Amino acid sequence: MGTLIAIGAGIAVLTGIGAGIGIGIATGKATEAIARQPEAEGKIMRNLLLGCALAEATAIYGFVIGLLIIIMLK
Amino acid sequence: MMSVCPFIIIWKKGSGHLSNLSKDLSEALTIKTAFSFKIAGHTIAVSESVVVTWIIMAILIALAIFLTHGLKVKNPGKKQIFLESVMSAGYNLFYGILGDNGAGYIPYLLTVMFYLGFANLIGIIGFTPPTKDLNVTLALALMSIVLIEYSNAHHNGGKKFFKSFAEPLPLMTPFNIMEIGIRPLSLCMRLFGNVLGSFVVMELLKAVCPLFLPVPFSMYFDIFDGLIQMIVFVFLTALFMQEGLIDD
Repeated sequence: MGTLIAIGAGIAVLTGIGAGIGIGIATGKATEAIARQPEAEGKIMRNLLLGCALAEATAIYGFVIGLLIIIMLK
Repeated sequence: MMSVCPFIIIWKKGSGHLSNLSKDLSEALTIKTAFSFKIAGHTIAVSESVVVTWIIMAILIALAIFLTHGLKVKNPGKKQIFLESVMSAGYNLFYGILGDNGAGYIPYLLTVMFYLGFANLIGIIGFTPPTKDLNVTLALALMSIVLIEYSNAHHNGGKKFFKSFAEPLPLMTPFNIMEIGIRPLSLCMRLFGNVLGSFVVMELLKAVCPLFLPVPFSMYFDIFDGLIQMIVFVFLTALFMQEGLIDD
């Protein structure tokens, strides 16, 4: 049972892959955009922060689910 | 000497580690009661997060009184210059998002920002951060969604407020209604998950290698992540408000 719980929690944390790819793409594009138009840095950073926060939410959900699995099924 | 190399420690602790960990995790998740008192036969338990919030309130009120004491128009002191630069930076950040229509909501957002900043950083001096308690983040998220919907209804009037649920297409109405529930849920889970996540990672690091290794990670997880989450929370609230505050 303990192994299964550990595997389940591990699978739940795989959501981090999506968040990592998403934040990576967003940051790469933002860097390109700042290189092209350095004067728009403030606006770009603002949107980047928003996008990262939204992309990161999936990873957080995965983490919360993993935690719930460990604690509820123990 | 052993604790310098993390792998030896993991190998030594072996398979019993997971059960200890889950015990530690559930201990970290439970909300401790600081003290309880009785009123007319009912026992009222005051949790630790409430007490820490009182401490933060005391710090913020003391700071407010100290910093606003003796403000001058001519020859401002260092204290006043610091205060003015911080406040105008915060004000301009939100003014850029909300514009004239939402300028009245900026003091609330700044208050939440200062509270969250202190709440996330207070773990450094040994208190339990109140944002690790799901009830605190849920209350903040509910306040945010009430403010978002109120500002929309107040600016646009009742008829236009209800009409805005059927935009851009009438087909989208169920999703727009669902958003009222999803937005505070995601705001609350994001803050809670980040603070708890960094707490758990730090506990794991301390268990694996208590020497030197936690220091740089603590800089990231305790300070940087806490400040980022503070900005993200108020920032998202302001952005959601902005949608309802635009003049057509």
